[in-house]
Amino acid sequence: MTSRLSWKLLSREWRSGELSILLLALVMAVSVVVGVSSFVSRLQSALLSESARFLAADMVVVSRTPFSDEWVREAEAQGLATSLGVGFPSMAVADIDHMALVSIKAVSDGYPLRGDLRWSREPYGDVLAEGSVPAVGEVWLAPRLFALLDVALGDRILVGEAGLLVTGAVRAEPDATTAVFGFGPRLLMNVEDIPATGVIQPGSRVEYRLLVGGDREAVSSFTEWVEPLLEQGQRVDSIDGSQPRIGDTLDRAKGFLLLAGSLAVVLASAAITLASRRFGERHTQYVAILKSLGARSWEISRLYGLSLAVLGAIGTILGCVVGWAIQAGFITLLGDLLPVRPGHAGWTPVYIGVVTAAVCMLFFAWPPLRRLGLASPLSVLRTDVGIAESQRPQDYLLGGLSIVGLMWWYNGSAAVTMAVVAGLLVVMVLGFLAARGLLYGGRRVGGFAGSIWRVALSGLQRRGHANALQMVIFAMAIMLMLLLSIVRSSLVVQWQAQLPADAPNHFLLNLAPDEKLVLEDFFEEQGVTVEALYPMTRGRVLSVNAEELPKSGEFEWEGIPRQREANFTWSDSLPEGNLLIEGEWWDADDARASLSLEESFAQDVGAGLGDRLTLRIGAEEFEAEVRSIRRVDWQSMRPNFYVVFPRQVLEQYPGMYMTSFRLLPDQKPVLNQLVSVLPTVTVIELDLVLREMRTVIDQVAGALELVLSVILASGALVLISGVRSSLDARLRESALMRALGARARVVLGTLWIEFLVLGAMAGTLAAAGTEVAAWALQTQVFDMTWSPTIALWWVGPVTGALIIGALGVWSCRRVVNTTPVALLREV
Amino acid sequence: MIKVSQLLKTVSTADGNLDILCGIDLEIEPGASAAIVGASGSGKSTLLGLLAGMDVPSGGEIWLDGESLKNLDEDQRARLRAEKVGFVFQSFQLLPALTALENVMLPLELAGVNDADKIAKKYLVEVGLGERLSHYPTTLSGGEQQRVAIARAFARQPRILFADEPTGNLDTRTGELIIELLFDLNDRAHTTLVLVTHDERLAARCDRCFAMTAGEIVER
Ligand SMILES: Nc1ncnc2c1ncn2[C@@H]1O[C@H](COP(=O)(O)OP(=O)(O)OP(=O)(O)O)[C@@H](O)[C@H]1O
Ligand SMILES: [Mg+2]
Repeated sequence: MTSRLSWKLLSREWRSGELSILLLALVMAVSVVVGVSSFVSRLQSALLSESARFLAADMVVVSRTPFSDEWVREAEAQGLATSLGVGFPSMAVADIDHMALVSIKAVSDGYPLRGDLRWSREPYGDVLAEGSVPAVGEVWLAPRLFALLDVALGDRILVGEAGLLVTGAVRAEPDATTAVFGFGPRLLMNVEDIPATGVIQPGSRVEYRLLVGGDREAVSSFTEWVEPLLEQGQRVDSIDGSQPRIGDTLDRAKGFLLLAGSLAVVLASAAITLASRRFGERHTQYVAILKSLGARSWEISRLYGLSLAVLGAIGTILGCVVGWAIQAGFITLLGDLLPVRPGHAGWTPVYIGVVTAAVCMLFFAWPPLRRLGLASPLSVLRTDVGIAESQRPQDYLLGGLSIVGLMWWYNGSAAVTMAVVAGLLVVMVLGFLAARGLLYGGRRVGGFAGSIWRVALSGLQRRGHANALQMVIFAMAIMLMLLLSIVRSSLVVQWQAQLPADAPNHFLLNLAPDEKLVLEDFFEEQGVTVEALYPMTRGRVLSVNAEELPKSGEFEWEGIPRQREANFTWSDSLPEGNLLIEGEWWDADDARASLSLEESFAQDVGAGLGDRLTLRIGAEEFEAEVRSIRRVDWQSMRPNFYVVFPRQVLEQYPGMYMTSFRLLPDQKPVLNQLVSVLPTVTVIELDLVLREMRTVIDQVAGALELVLSVILASGALVLISGVRSSLDARLRESALMRALGARARVVLGTLWIEFLVLGAMAGTLAAAGTEVAAWALQTQVFDMTWSPTIALWWVGPVTGALIIGALGVWSCRRVVNTTPVALLREV
Repeated sequence: MIKVSQLLKTVSTADGNLDILCGIDLEIEPGASAAIVGASGSGKSTLLGLLAGMDVPSGGEIWLDGESLKNLDEDQRARLRAEKVGFVFQSFQLLPALTALENVMLPLELAGVNDADKIAKKYLVEVGLGERLSHYPTTLSGGEQQRVAIARAFARQPRILFADEPTGNLDTRTGELIIELLFDLNDRAHTTLVLVTHDERLAARCDRCFAMTAGEIVER
């Protein structure tokens, strides 16, 4: 009988609304969790390949000596793609007057295994991404080499003993940052031509690179195979190293999505608890009747347990389907912006969804119903015999712990979880304090006010306990919604600030001091604005407090201080966009041997404020004291430096200058003239990367918007079920008021006041909670700067009051639309 | 058979302990009909609730059909009710989410009876509600709800039927109809009837009549 009865109850109860809210909340929680986690795990694989582009492969074996063929054979046997590269500095000669020191990179067919090699026919011509590598007998030159060597397309140049035909210009290599062979401009050639050049002799400075690409398992098994065979001078580079910029953006987006998912779960569990509580309250009487008719406790428990199980199963299935759709939507939205086709998410998200549903049902839906079985049949005789308390403190505790556990498991970050929990705790503690103070003090204020206010405030007070709970739940829901909106908009603002429309999009390096004026004149003539010129000297940190640091070994472990090389600069004032986090900045005329370190660099060499570093520039060694530590915004497109000195300390060393500037797309030909005027400077074209980043950011921001609206919907669900939780009492009271002669206007007025006051208080609490959580998230998780959001303190209360007021009055609209008789009969 | 000895019921209230029942002794043989009359607040409903095993006494003992309620727990008393006891509440107690028919079917389904809907329909027709089978309780008048509650109690053909003012909300004609039904059941199935009533005609038709005053009972 139970299954039929539970089906009947479920279908009948549908009309009353709690079950639909419960199901909706469950579907929402499951779908957001499933959608976000499958999207994120697909994104993860895309992110990995994104970083793979910076190696041009999934992993690279680097060696000073040629590889044994066995390694290549082994890689190919494992189903991996391989490509060989050789890099070394050498001379390129056009004729007796035109020769240059170049950094040669010889590659084989198939290069790059990841990312794109961008090249063009003419030095600064249209960029081509397709095509392969220089054919045998051909070379591609860095654009400025054309000017340096005074060659054009179709000319021949000599590398060692080999004569090679110039057929193109190298514009961007995926592994430009990781495969550096000397400082000269790039010359790209085919690896087959190397023997003909005859330049590689025993003892030459050569780097051999074996690029390997393929699926992750094969790559890691090959890595395991090769690592024990590595000798002195050989190492493996893998892709967990440097995080690219786009990866950074996606990474934060991922953090945001996981946060959103966790909040969805919290909101859904609140909605579920409220709905289930009300369901349970209304069913106390049912159970009493069923019991008086002879139903036993376990039959009651089975009845409701089964109902929940059916509901849970439906919710899980629907949730998974919707979640899959959400994830598919994201992928379509981001589409071809993702560097490679995103991988499969596998079954893990579904598994997460099922666990989420189970936790929601078990810890939030079930406790209010579990005790129904214990209801006394006596309450059919007397209304004052309810079940003692539908939920006990340990239920709340268990529920709270389970949600924290779920959040943590799900977003994998203790910091995110703690930030949200801290905000929620603030809301709860303040909430119950405020409820005490304000609701109980309310009557006194009401005493002076008009009669509607008096009725409303005494109503608030009479249901003080229920109202406090309701207010805290409203506040939590509002807080989570505010929090997510704030985090989202500050992420988007930050992303966009990182790419302002007028940001420099080219870097210029290697400008000799005597060329400064030439450059300034040139840019003035061309109408190009240029940022400040920064002096730049290559140097090395040797020791800290006279204790010598180990040289960077073949294998570098994180956290162990080691020698580092960096570009040094001098500056009279703190460089723009830098933040002083320790120490003080020097005066312009300070001549003491001092320096300022960038945060992470200080960590790398293991130095702190007041330590004395021994440094080397060229052949000269000198000492300087760390006078300050800076935080640098690496996202900005300005020149940034790890080590900064006072002018008088660094100026005596020879150095070059660097700067950045902005070119519009139609100004591109300026670069051709620039390299003919200043043939030795290096120009890095960032605009190509920037354009790509901008589209990614726009799309990601769109995806976040989508998730945010789902969260707002869950929040609204909580508010609705919160309002509904007090509906019976309010309806009955209002109906009685009307039956006793109160005009509809008065009844409606009281309702408005009650809900507006509740909403405004909840909104204020929410603002406090949001401030705490946003601080924790922005400083601890998203690496952003935090400042109090003043607007919160009026947006919170005002939106709270309006939303709760409108929702509340709307839910109670029947009070004035129906006759008191009809109402009293119902409740 | 119903037997009650030295039944006490005390509740604690804000103003101290309140004795509602002060030592009730009672014996009603199987198949008999008994009426309990008395002023409002004299403890009639309380006694009936105790007899049906829906509450536990503060002292004394109750036997239903030879079985003492004393050593039964909540669930065992529920099983006893499911098997033997019907109850008509003073305030009807219908499930608002179920239709009239479904309300009547409920105890039959709980007992696992086949043809629950046929039986339920038959009883609803008997109480004159054949036309209102699919109506929900909120759309029925007080008297109609009362009749659904009576049909629900009859449908299981209980060995003992408790009814708390079964005709309280009914007009004379319908009241008489219900009284006929009650005694018909009493005749045909030898159901023991225990009725709380203010209706003198109903009390007069019962084999026995008890009067309650302030928690004490005497037979008239
Ligand atoms: N749990 C309880 N707590 C406090 N008082 C109670 C409780 N149960 C019953 N009473 C009181 O005991 C008295 C008897 O109640 P009961 O419902 O049995 O009266 P009744 O005889 O059925 O009256 P009526 O004819 O009005 O239905 C009443 O005064 C009632 O207020
Ligand atoms: Mg009574």
